[in-house]
Amino acid sequence: MKKKEKGAGGDRKIGVYVCHCGVNIAATVDVSKVVKFAASLPEVVIARDYSYVCSDPGQRLIVEDIEKLGVNRVVTAICSPRLHEPTFRKTLEEAGLNPYCLEIANIREQCSWVHDDETEATEKAKRLVASAVARSALLEPMDVREVPVVPEALVIGAGISGIQTALDIADAGFKVHLVEKDPSIGGHMAQLDKTFPTLDCSACILTPKMVEVERHPNIQLYAYSEVEEIDGYVGNFTVKIRRKAPYVDWVKCNACDECTSVCPVNVSNQFDMGLSSRKAIYRAFPQAVPNKFVIQKTGVPPCRATCPAGVNVQGYIALITCGKYQEALALEREANPFASVCGRVCSHPCENECKRGELDQPIAIRHLKRFIAQEGRGSQKQTSPPKKRGTGNSRKKGKVAVVGAGPAGLTAARDLASWGYSVSVFEAEKMVGGMLALGIPAFRLPREALQEDIDYITEFGVELVTDSALGREFTVPELFEQGHRAIFLATGAYGERKLGVPGEKAKGVFYALDLLKKLNTGRSIKIKGRMVVIGGGNAAVDAARSLVRLGAQEVTILYRRSREEMPAYSEEVKEAEAEGVRIHFLGIPVRILTKDGQVVGLKCQKMKLGAPDESGRRRPIPLEGSHFQLDADAVVVAIGEYPDLSFVTKKASLDVTSWGTLVADPVTLETNMPGVFAGGDVVSGPATVIEAIAAGRRVAISIDRFVKGVDLREGREVNLQVVTEVPGLAHRPKRDRIAESRLPVKKRIPGFAEVTLGYSEKEAVEEAGRCLNCGICCECRECERVCEPQAIDHALRDEIVSTQVGTIVVATGFDQFDAQVKPELGYSQYENVITGLEFERLSSPSGPTAGKILVAGREPKDVAFILCVGSRDETVGNEYCSRVCCMATTKQAHLIKEKNPEANVTVFYTDVRAFGKGFEEFYVRVKEEGVVYRRGNPSEIYKKGERLVVRAEDTLLGQTVELEVDLVVLAAGMTPNANTEGVANLLRLGCSADGFLMEAHPKLRPVETAIDGIYLAGCCQGPKDIPDAVAQAKGAAASAIAPMARGRVRIEPITAVIDEDLCSGCRLCEAVCEYGALSFDEDKGIMTVNEVLCKGCGACGATCPSGCIFMRHYSDEQILAQIGAILSHVR
Amino acid sequence: MSDKKWKPQIVGFACNWCTYAGADLAGTSRLKYPANLSLVRVMCTGRIDVSHILAAFARGADGVFVGGCHPGDCHYLSGNFKAQARVALAKRLLAQFGIEPERLYLEWISAGEGTKFADVIVQFTERVRELGPNPTHLELG
Repeated sequence: MKKKEKGAGGDRKIGVYVCHCGVNIAATVDVSKVVKFAASLPEVVIARDYSYVCSDPGQRLIVEDIEKLGVNRVVTAICSPRLHEPTFRKTLEEAGLNPYCLEIANIREQCSWVHDDETEATEKAKRLVASAVARSALLEPMDVREVPVVPEALVIGAGISGIQTALDIADAGFKVHLVEKDPSIGGHMAQLDKTFPTLDCSACILTPKMVEVERHPNIQLYAYSEVEEIDGYVGNFTVKIRRKAPYVDWVKCNACDECTSVCPVNVSNQFDMGLSSRKAIYRAFPQAVPNKFVIQKTGVPPCRATCPAGVNVQGYIALITCGKYQEALALEREANPFASVCGRVCSHPCENECKRGELDQPIAIRHLKRFIAQEGRGSQKQTSPPKKRGTGNSRKKGKVAVVGAGPAGLTAARDLASWGYSVSVFEAEKMVGGMLALGIPAFRLPREALQEDIDYITEFGVELVTDSALGREFTVPELFEQGHRAIFLATGAYGERKLGVPGEKAKGVFYALDLLKKLNTGRSIKIKGRMVVIGGGNAAVDAARSLVRLGAQEVTILYRRSREEMPAYSEEVKEAEAEGVRIHFLGIPVRILTKDGQVVGLKCQKMKLGAPDESGRRRPIPLEGSHFQLDADAVVVAIGEYPDLSFVTKKASLDVTSWGTLVADPVTLETNMPGVFAGGDVVSGPATVIEAIAAGRRVAISIDRFVKGVDLREGREVNLQVVTEVPGLAHRPKRDRIAESRLPVKKRIPGFAEVTLGYSEKEAVEEAGRCLNCGICCECRECERVCEPQAIDHALRDEIVSTQVGTIVVATGFDQFDAQVKPELGYSQYENVITGLEFERLSSPSGPTAGKILVAGREPKDVAFILCVGSRDETVGNEYCSRVCCMATTKQAHLIKEKNPEANVTVFYTDVRAFGKGFEEFYVRVKEEGVVYRRGNPSEIYKKGERLVVRAEDTLLGQTVELEVDLVVLAAGMTPNANTEGVANLLRLGCSADGFLMEAHPKLRPVETAIDGIYLAGCCQGPKDIPDAVAQAKGAAASAIAPMARGRVRIEPITAVIDEDLCSGCRLCEAVCEYGALSFDEDKGIMTVNEVLCKGCGACGATCPSGCIFMRHYSDEQILAQIGAILSHVR
Repeated sequence: MSDKKWKPQIVGFACNWCTYAGADLAGTSRLKYPANLSLVRVMCTGRIDVSHILAAFARGADGVFVGGCHPGDCHYLSGNFKAQARVALAKRLLAQFGIEPERLYLEWISAGEGTKFADVIVQFTERVRELGPNPTHLELG
């Protein structure tokens, strides 16, 4: 197939130039044979060899042949095209030939350097030359594409390298976008105390540069931001930057630091390498640039995410740790007005999800809630929301009716009342509280405890109308007629299931709820003899324990499954057994035995457990012929409740499910009647208190929206970003939860005194201190109260900023080697084994010890330094030298001697590398100060009393030495930044074998990358000290400035071309193009290429079934010609 | 069947950004591998058509090697995955032509993996050697 773009001048005249490269090629490849071979190839008019083709005379040979012999295609058999392709393209251009008429045979990197056998290497060189000649014959001239360069640069990372790069580019007059992932710029250099070998203070030389960055008119600083996406090519990159939400308005924040004093959350301070703690709201260090605070959030803690009502558990627990009980209670009550109740009877799903449970035991959240319910009441003024309360007509938002004064109804009533609604709660019974008041016995929930919560709710001006039942005293339409704008049906589940066995009508058969109701409403119950309670839920256990208290001789629970399947709370089951209740598992009643209409016993059948049913519990199956008998004077049936829906009539025709519950939308809880909402047990069937509270909250929001005429659903189904992992959890010290004290069994019976006794203040604070603060910030909002400029904004969200730049400099730095990888050195095991960076923080006047070298409160007298920790160590995969540790350690040894001249300092080394300016002199000076250098790598560090013993082999003496010291400092080396892979993927950069980002050439192009327009600065490319990092930064800046200063850059013209005659418009290519460069022309019915978008990868060319996509410079013919040439002398 | 002097011929396709650079690094590091492989440089392995692979076998190649960027590293985002799919297809076609699919080999080699490049070529050359000469000459139109 002939292409339209025919090369200039028809006939091919190919010149081949084989390089000796001194002996680099010539030592293994017989160059003269290759030249002779080349000369024999078709269309080759001249083949020459030269010692260095890349040299000026070498290039002149080519120019002359082009001019004199009319050579119009050039093949150089030299080193890799990745090195000299640009050089020879220029040569061709100078001779007036199109630069793309060049092909390179890589006979050095891919031939002479990798093969030993001269014959084989020469044969291969011939094949490579044949391949290049075949391709060159098919090369077409291409127009050089030039594009304008956006005169702005992106610098990623603002350590000393990034800072220097940004300053240099900005000083040259170009705008710089400087992106730093941390809240402050400065990087590792900001952590250092002194710098070697001059001993100037690191902060003193760095901070002026940091300030300069902030003030520079050409620098746009994006602190606490990350580059999210990069697209485009040299001169025209599109960059998306994520500005992470600091939850503090940086415009308003005046860095007064008031917030940190009230923040209850302490976390490890990474700037101090974990040697101190900081608050969840923090600034990295006092000289931070920008000098602004951020709040660290890692997500919603699992406790809060699991709580059906979304109670801010971490928040109130954090407040307990600093004695702010009233604030804790107020925070708890924002989501759940039943603190006192839930502190006693909540099913606490939060505790099941508590991350601490993965370490030892979950936090005793319920006990802590009870503690604040009691201790936080102190002054009602503070615990009640600040809203001014009123009743009845003073409310502006209108009337709302709540039917049922259980936890669901009262929660909604509280919420709505606090928002300004006039709320009336109608209760069928004489007392309020619903199942809390009627169904739970006082020994679990004392009446006063319930009353506290109800009193709190009524304080909001909620009107309670008792003895007023739906369907008896009023109907739903009547409530609307009375002017209620919305109605919440929270009538609960009070119907009791019957056993359905013969004898159930006999005297002596009771129902649990009825029994508990009587008990709780103070009616007398006469009990004697042996009792059997049937069922395994909380009602059954409550009934059984009540019977014990009422004086029953013997109480037995009969349950059809085993202990594991019991729905009752396991702690309550345990208490029941302690109180003397017997539990008979795996049995069902088949008949109630009577005598003269009075219960005398139960005929039962044994069960076995089968496969799990829908509830996940194993299904009980009756065992044939396994009948047995239980004697009983009374039987209490406790096999479940269901909603009583007798109020559903024609006028109030609410939809009902097949389970006999009301139908309500799962998100909004609206029923089929507009303005009528339903929630709690009447919708869910019998469920927990906290689920009812959650339903109440949900309905309150729905009603508020309904009244306001706002969409009920919008934005309510949010996906919470839940914390799934707590970093370093396994390494935390274990500490069991504190048990709540209980009333001794003897003192419980008879009577209904509360069994659990609650925490003392000391216990509560200690237990709260176990909280891991999974979400870091607990959102207690204490900082909001003290922030004078009102800068705190928890509603802030990450922001994406998009910008165009011409060039990019990567300066993402390094991480310190994790010394835990070498357990024999005892790091993280012994507190007096520290790393070099930790030493810097100890030694720094701004560090946790204000510059005193203190370990466990004492100044060490004998100190050992160990070099090459994680460097030059194949066992940890790091073969490279970290280059700074020798001198950094020498400096640190000097600092110890300076602070304590009496100290004995020993440095264990492999080799001392003092290669920089002034390094050797400094090393000699420190040795003269009395620091001992011993050659040898310590094999073990172990504890001896308070001190440590370093065991090493002194390789000069050939002896094992054991040195007793107070402190060991590990010169942990530099490793690639943990996110290097992410950066490499983002920018499509390569990494070298050591894991650092790879430069274009290790010697000649140390700041460039394989990608035009992207440069490297500092330790992201490999370990460096500060002067080297700064020097490379300046180099990167200069390289990045060059294309911007020129204003235009050349880009490869390699693009796809569509043969319009052949294209059938099948559009297969459209789907494979990642860049949207191919589009379908509806008029012509064929594909078209957008050359600006096309990046020349060739994927479309390989996809086109009709071969109508021509890839410039990598055409099918060219590739096939190369294959053919390589294989031309097979067989 | 193969005499001692038999030298298998292997055609390699390497993308400009990763594997070709990795091969260069093997050279700079003076790592040794058999001289049976000759590389064809393409911008991206996504450029490689099944027909290129078949053509190599048709012209007598004893093995074909394709080297691209690691998943996630492709300079053109997904060219390496396209190559993976096409190599899988080519292997099925080869089997139908009576050519052992093991003669075609795809590997991800980054620009920093000079050692891996050398190792892969040593092993692949050995595998091709064990398989013996390309059993057939395909006649492709």
